[in-house]
Amino acid sequence: MIFSSLTFLFYFLPIVLIIYYIVPNKMKNLILFISSLFFYFIGEPKYGILMIISILSTYIHGLLMDKYKKHKKKFLVSSIIISLSFLIFFKYTDFIIENINTIFNGKFDLLNLALPIGISFYTFKMISYIVDVYAGKVEVQRSFLKLATYVSMFPQLMAGPIVRYSTIEKELDERKYTFSIFLFGVRRFIIGLAKKILVADVLGDLVNNFSTVSEKTVLFYWIYAIAITLQIYFDFSGYSDMAIGLGKMFGFNFPENFNYPYISKSVTEFWRRWHITLGTWFRDYVYIPLGGNRVSKIKWLRNILIVWLLTGLWHGAAWNFILWGLLYGLLLVIEKIGLLKILDKIPSFISRIYVMFVVIIGFVIFSVSGVSQIKECIGGLFGIGVEKIVNKESIYYLLNYASIFIIGILASTPIMKNIILKLKQKYPRAINILEPMTLSLLLIVCVSYLVDGSFNPFLYFRF
Amino acid sequence: MNDKVKDVVVSILFLITIVGVLVINLILKDKDISYSERRKLAQFPDINIENVFNGNLTDEIEEYAMDQFPLRDEFRSIKTFVKLDILRQKDNNGLFIADNSIYKIEYPLDEKSVLNVADKINNIYNKYLNNEFNVFYSIIPDKNYFLDDNSIYLKLDYKALDNIMRESINSNIKYINIFNELSSEDYYKTDTHWKQQNLTKVVNKIANKMEFLDRMNEEFEEKKYTNEFYGTYYGQLGKKIEPDQIYYLTNSYIEQATTYNYETNKEASIYNIEKANLSMDKYDLFLSGATPIIEIRNSNAKTDKELIIFRDSFGSSLAPLFTEAYSKIILIDIRYISTDLISKYINFNINQDILFLYSTLVINDSGSLK
Repeated sequence: MIFSSLTFLFYFLPIVLIIYYIVPNKMKNLILFISSLFFYFIGEPKYGILMIISILSTYIHGLLMDKYKKHKKKFLVSSIIISLSFLIFFKYTDFIIENINTIFNGKFDLLNLALPIGISFYTFKMISYIVDVYAGKVEVQRSFLKLATYVSMFPQLMAGPIVRYSTIEKELDERKYTFSIFLFGVRRFIIGLAKKILVADVLGDLVNNFSTVSEKTVLFYWIYAIAITLQIYFDFSGYSDMAIGLGKMFGFNFPENFNYPYISKSVTEFWRRWHITLGTWFRDYVYIPLGGNRVSKIKWLRNILIVWLLTGLWHGAAWNFILWGLLYGLLLVIEKIGLLKILDKIPSFISRIYVMFVVIIGFVIFSVSGVSQIKECIGGLFGIGVEKIVNKESIYYLLNYASIFIIGILASTPIMKNIILKLKQKYPRAINILEPMTLSLLLIVCVSYLVDGSFNPFLYFRF
Repeated sequence: MNDKVKDVVVSILFLITIVGVLVINLILKDKDISYSERRKLAQFPDINIENVFNGNLTDEIEEYAMDQFPLRDEFRSIKTFVKLDILRQKDNNGLFIADNSIYKIEYPLDEKSVLNVADKINNIYNKYLNNEFNVFYSIIPDKNYFLDDNSIYLKLDYKALDNIMRESINSNIKYINIFNELSSEDYYKTDTHWKQQNLTKVVNKIANKMEFLDRMNEEFEEKKYTNEFYGTYYGQLGKKIEPDQIYYLTNSYIEQATTYNYETNKEASIYNIEKANLSMDKYDLFLSGATPIIEIRNSNAKTDKELIIFRDSFGSSLAPLFTEAYSKIILIDIRYISTDLISKYINFNINQDILFLYSTLVINDSGSLK
């Protein structure tokens, strides 16, 4: 089930909310767990069991670590190996086979396994738990229900933010419910829904036209590149907004996952603003354990390389994702050894253009199917292998989607938020009436798109 | 309204909204048909092991939720309004309004599809016909053809389509060009089809080329069937525009002729008012709508000549106008019957004229031709 569906909005959510708020507090985790299983099962019936087994393994390893403290490192390693092997088996086996076949001229058959939805996310959540138990940062969780509720909680089950166990450890026992928190959740949820339905999915239609366009021009390649850049951001940050909003409705505080990444003035800053919970996860569970930057230059370079290779691979089992990750790794090294200082000194619009240029090229690499298409698309942006700069078709696409581009670009910056905050200070009463009206309108428009729409799963479910 | 009051009121309103829609969904009786979209609506799916485990159940339930959503038509209108009038997007679901008429983007040219149509026509020729037959083909432009070339809307490369057909179709099949006999006025505003009452120029051109003009003597009389024709595009776009009217042309030959449907073995009149009254698609007035093979029987004919038309739905309104000139007109729609099976029902002989008559819509999307 996906959030941006009528089934979720008008069947699943009202039923779960009613039951959740009727039952006594001690039953609430159970209700969340059961509804999360249902939520997962209805979309991914085959792999529900896999998730339960994974959670059970992590749960037991946690208990064993607590009981046999002397051997806790062994249990840590064993738990991580089990969790990762599920992930590797389902996500990377075919990629490994393909590469072996290419390099050694082998003829091994591919397994063609479907990727269990959300496996990349829930595996990382469980690793964060077991590592934190090992490091003594959190208490071992003795209740299977609570651990399972944490891992499988439907608001953040299938995509980001990657909520760490330590973040919601206390909230698993005790949560605060107020109308103010609930409304915050509703607001975030509707904003996320609008980002997904009114921007990401609409641009998705444009992106899907890529293969059917009869003659690609330089303008079309740029339209495509900007559309995909906006689509990925609105899709994923929309999902994160909805997750955070739903979390609030059920009394949980999830961490923020995006902070206007497209206004960054360096790639380093971009990664502090983009998919924040993934970046910090890799920092805390890979980069720092490897020694971080408190090692020799060579080892530091190695650490960065490993982190960005893994970041690329985490997004997908294909070479374009690896290239995408390594591109960022390379740029971060260049920035750290000197470019950052230059970026600081030059006018900020130039550094922003540099970041967006990198990001757009990055997402073109990210979104193509296969390495050969990278050459075509990036070349296309600069007129290589393209006959025309514009044609009627490209202009049609530009005009047809102009308003969406403008809204998308504006909504990628904090301009609107700042205006609203200022108005709220000046005219608090008016905003208190305008805000619910705006949210209602957004909800009605989103529903109208859903009623007339086709089914659009989130991009990040692939990862 | 202070912050605290707002928090309580808006939170409760949100809950009432989602719970309210749930309750209304449960109470409201499911509808079978959408008259505005002219299609059957999805019903609640049967839940079985297969659709649960192949993951289709979620999609089926979502389709059900979309189709049975309360005030569905109104919500669809809101979306169209937001897309076209507020966001100023150029089309909604590929449909757009120009000169107060609804168009569907038909773009780009699918050369393979055009070649497929040419192949199908050649195959039929090679299988059932030879150079002793009088064989013709004609292409019906869809109404996009008449859009201003300077408008921003995307148009098919009709010239290229025409060229592929001319180059690929057997040279014994003669081409009748009717593009110049039509204009945008000759199409319904809310539908894909052409208006029968505007087809006299087309009839004359075809009759002239196929040499049966001398057998067409009686004038047509124009009659009105309905004041309110909401065509296919109307429901798909979800925006209110004035309805079309359906008129039909008749004369004594047409009135006395009957149709015989090979699939249902039923006879009916050429303009089937009873069927059209019951049908969601009022264009079904003409020859009772889509069917694999239907025959127009004209017992008053002064000739024993027959005409076979391989056609799509545009043919339903054109063929009746040829009634006087033939004793029998057989219309074959190879979207509903395989070309290999035709000989089971039809005996081809040189007393028959043959016409292949396809719209550019079918030519550019010919996957359904069998």
